[in-house]
Amino acid sequence: MDLALSFLRPAARHGYGEKTGTRGLAVEGLVTSLNTTTPWQLALPARGTFGFSGPSGSGKSTLLAALAGQRACSGRVSFAGMCWQEGTWGLAAHQRDLVLGFQDVRLFAGQTVADNLALAHRYSRRRLAHEERAGLIEAFGIAPLLGQPVEQLSGGEAQRVALLRQLFSNAAVQLYDEPLSAVDRSQVLRGLIPALRAFWARNPALVIWTSHDFNEIQLLASHCLWMEEAALRGPVAVRELIGFQASGESAEHSCCSRLEARVESCEAGLLTLSLGDVLLYADNVVGCHRPGDIVPFLLGSGDISLSLERPGLSSILNCLPAELLAMVPVADGRVRLELGACGQAFCADISRLSRERLQLEVGRRYFAQFKAGSLTGL
Amino acid sequence: MNLDIADLGALWLTLRLAAVTTALLLVIGVPLAWKLSHWQSRWRHAVEVIITLPLVLPPTVLGFYLLLVLSPNYAPGSWLAEALGQPLVFSFTGLVIASVIYSLPFMVQPLLVSFSQHGGRLTSAAAALGMPPLAALLRVLLPASRPAIISACALTFAHTLGEFGVVLMIGGAIPGETQVVSVALYQHVEAMEYGAAHRLALLLVVVTTALLLLARWLGRSAVVKDRDVPVMGALG
Repeated sequence: MDLALSFLRPAARHGYGEKTGTRGLAVEGLVTSLNTTTPWQLALPARGTFGFSGPSGSGKSTLLAALAGQRACSGRVSFAGMCWQEGTWGLAAHQRDLVLGFQDVRLFAGQTVADNLALAHRYSRRRLAHEERAGLIEAFGIAPLLGQPVEQLSGGEAQRVALLRQLFSNAAVQLYDEPLSAVDRSQVLRGLIPALRAFWARNPALVIWTSHDFNEIQLLASHCLWMEEAALRGPVAVRELIGFQASGESAEHSCCSRLEARVESCEAGLLTLSLGDVLLYADNVVGCHRPGDIVPFLLGSGDISLSLERPGLSSILNCLPAELLAMVPVADGRVRLELGACGQAFCADISRLSRERLQLEVGRRYFAQFKAGSLTGL
Repeated sequence: MNLDIADLGALWLTLRLAAVTTALLLVIGVPLAWKLSHWQSRWRHAVEVIITLPLVLPPTVLGFYLLLVLSPNYAPGSWLAEALGQPLVFSFTGLVIASVIYSLPFMVQPLLVSFSQHGGRLTSAAAALGMPPLAALLRVLLPASRPAIISACALTFAHTLGEFGVVLMIGGAIPGETQVVSVALYQHVEAMEYGAAHRLALLLVVVTTALLLLARWLGRSAVVKDRDVPVMGALG
């Protein structure tokens, strides 16, 4: 009898929701064939965006599939007081208030882009208004593709359609598995990520965003999960990623740092932000920002120059006083600096010759300059 | 091409038999192939072999057993005859039952291949979007399998057109009731009416070739759909 009715039972019946006091996603001792010795534990709030990264083959997709009820597993999973997994019993995938994306997109063959989106809308957990859907189609550049059979889409187009299909589903828990890996980077950082952030601000959900691109993750999330050899860690603050990048293997390449600033005004395509008492300027802005909003953006380590004195009038609009926190030599005769301003850290790459000429010292204050066009993700 | 009334009657009967068989098999074949495609049981292979049997068995063997099963002298046949109000052997209904069993693999195999190919990937994506299994079948799997469905229907129809052994065993050659084109052709040859035999044979060749060409064309146009479909569907 229990089996027949078991999908109806809420976690409260087991006292789980009350016991832990969590209303978000709670994972306890989740075991799949991949992690028999390292059961996964996870506790996330009901709303918020979390990055998810780690080496290929470490088990990220497996965890997502297990959470979605699409892979055999055992343990406990509950969301908002509803039991999704208890031992080896699991609530059917379509009955969970969750949407899962796949790396191989899995658009519905034999149908057009419009058909695919219409189906997602029809079975949406919280149907989006017409204006919201039209706005997303516009922001993702899908309008010209609507009538096309999905077989005719390029890899990047298919990914954008698949991501949009997930957004149309508007589930309380949204799991994304490298959803934009084949899309042009500049389109992702400058167009799609701001549109996604704005969407989730209007339609809050618990989002887990899997990616190998730290820039994507930094722009979307303040915290990140990390999977390595089937061991799950996190959520850790994105700021720790900056430290990771300054010392890790990726230090060979230039990196981007996430900073947050307050919107002051947006006029004639120029966005004015304040970071402490310093005003910053950004052009090439896609998103719609209101004064008072706290917005994240990325700053490339190669886009920053450093000077000892406050520079005079220059075409470079931004000048941020910053303290030198650390220096790490990296490849190609460059030095990576970790700078701090208003409690936030960011990286800058300069040549060794510049370091010698400026006689840089950790703990001293310098002036970091960068152009208005180098702020991305706004 | 001049066909006499009896040959035209046989042609009409054959087309009717093929159409009814194809329609019934579509209704039976889709759920059967769907169930088989995700049936995790060791019995699956046994069931698949049974479904495939009509492909390799001589039609007369199948016809012989069906004749016994459907005969009013045995229990299943007498129950069915009572339920349907008529004996099944040497009747159109009996022919339909025999054709459905005889052509079952031609409907199920293409569907099974397509469902197995798309099934796991697309139905998991449909479930991830909140679609129940039946909706996933009707709204995702069937549209994705459209070329396979068209090809399965064409094969079933064409195969039924050419039935001979099973029909002869279970239906005989009653004009207007069980005499199909292939049987009429055989009778013409027996009576050394080669002109009439030629006409019927040529007709079958033309009809089946045209049918297979049509199925190929439909299958291809199902994959590459017209670009001018209504684009506002996504906006509901």
